Amino acid sequence: MAGASISRWTMSYFAASLVFLVVGQALLAGGFGYPVLPVEAPETLVIVHSLAVGWLALLFCGALLQFVPVLAAAPLFLPGLAAPALVLLVIGLALLNCGFLNLAGYVDHGLVLLPIGAALLATGFGLIVTMIGGTLARTGSLSLPARFVALGLLALTAAAGLGVAFALELSGLVDVETLHGLLPAGVSLHAYFGMVGWMSVSAFGVSYRLLTMFLLSPETERATTCSALALVVLSVAVASITLMALALGSSRAEPVYLPFVLAAGAGLIFGYDVLTIFRARKRKALELNSITSALAVAFLMLAILLYLLLLFTGQIEDRIGALVYLVCFGWLSLLGLGQLYKIVAFLTWLECYGPVLGRTPVPRVQELVCDGRASNWFYLYTAAVCVAVVALLLEGSFVFRGAVLAQTVAVIGLTVEFVRTRRLFYVSVQDSKLDAQRHPSLFLPNSIERS
Amino acid sequence: MSSKAATLVERIRTRLKDVIDPELGRDVVSLGLIYEVDATDAGVVHISMTTTTIGCPAAVFLVGAVRFATASVTDVKHVEVHLTHEPRWTPEMMSV
Repeated sequence: MAGASISRWTMSYFAASLVFLVVGQALLAGGFGYPVLPVEAPETLVIVHSLAVGWLALLFCGALLQFVPVLAAAPLFLPGLAAPALVLLVIGLALLNCGFLNLAGYVDHGLVLLPIGAALLATGFGLIVTMIGGTLARTGSLSLPARFVALGLLALTAAAGLGVAFALELSGLVDVETLHGLLPAGVSLHAYFGMVGWMSVSAFGVSYRLLTMFLLSPETERATTCSALALVVLSVAVASITLMALALGSSRAEPVYLPFVLAAGAGLIFGYDVLTIFRARKRKALELNSITSALAVAFLMLAILLYLLLLFTGQIEDRIGALVYLVCFGWLSLLGLGQLYKIVAFLTWLECYGPVLGRTPVPRVQELVCDGRASNWFYLYTAAVCVAVVALLLEGSFVFRGAVLAQTVAVIGLTVEFVRTRRLFYVSVQDSKLDAQRHPSLFLPNSIERS
Repeated sequence: MSSKAATLVERIRTRLKDVIDPELGRDVVSLGLIYEVDATDAGVVHISMTTTTIGCPAAVFLVGAVRFATASVTDVKHVEVHLTHEPRWTPEMMSV
């Protein structure tokens, strides 16, 4: 049956990503890297990669492995690669961070770990691109949301490739003129391809489909959505041409801006589309994941306005930390946590109750969660992000660390809710007659019965 | 369709109201997911149904639930459930 697939390793990706999120935030709160140390300090790089790769990339990979078969209405291509990809990504990130710790002086003789870790990460991402790209290739013509995801795969490839180049350059193992010329423009491209070209563009595509599904809005191909796609295609193309020019020896001292501006334009159109989807919804009562998605998109709009403001006032380099924080935690992470809340419940329901649907009374997906408890954590998280961004803009390091601590507490609280959902904690006794046989594993794959 | 078959179809539709879409919390009939129920006097039933989205991971379970629920109706001897996305389901297909 077309698309009736469940990604067996998605919960494992989610579990690993949450561990990295808590660790990354705890390090920030503890003053390990930025803003106590400079943005470019190796300690900051440990945090940045723990959050960008460990948290966000693993979260996106896990979600895409589950969701792309829905987008493509086709089974996942080479699903057996999901487990080795996860192992490669986790080990690769651990080695990369060890390399950064060596640069920071915490360990000796670890520079070689930088390119080894980066190579493992690139291989892991290569497997992900193969699976998702192969799944999309199985469908005849790509829907608009699927085109966003496909474009994101190109950006992911570029981000991983640049990462390997930087690791080789930082390790000093090779002396190649081209690599020397990659900095600093290459750094902004690396961030662009990762957080904008891959994650944000994929999030656009996934949100277009998920929001219409969850809100029961008409699934139409809007002219505005086509415009947003055209802008992100142009944005990734400009970034790719700039990267090729750098690789061919063009010297560039300043960061790149045009791809970000084009993507910002696409982001504003995306925000308008989301508003349209919400207004056209048939499902009037909003669920918590829809509310958090709306908040995340509001953070994206704020981030775009802040970016344009900083760009035109010439403060972008001084305030880049606040902007990146807003994008990472306000937009991508809040969207991700909100969707995790929904996906964990949905996958748990499929594993536990799907096989007996229609044969015996089963709870609804919504009955596997407790919105009241989770919403408190989501609101604490949202408030903490606001305080943290303002503190970064005003250079209040102590307030910032306090806000990150509150954010960490909120994430731990949400993680407890995810675990409770997996443990069927909120399912009433009457509905849990089947639990003894069907209790799902916390994060390792379960075998799914088919009816 | 004979009156016996029409009565059987009506009983099947009533029984299918017990099959709930787990995400939306509404039954598959009022959601408009059941496109057609056809039955013969001999109890051979053919059902054409859809899901709210193509590629829905719960599709296989919904089809199984509809098949099981239909088979449990008295006088039903054989059930075939066909999943289709022609026409595509839209929110307008839900009954108020």
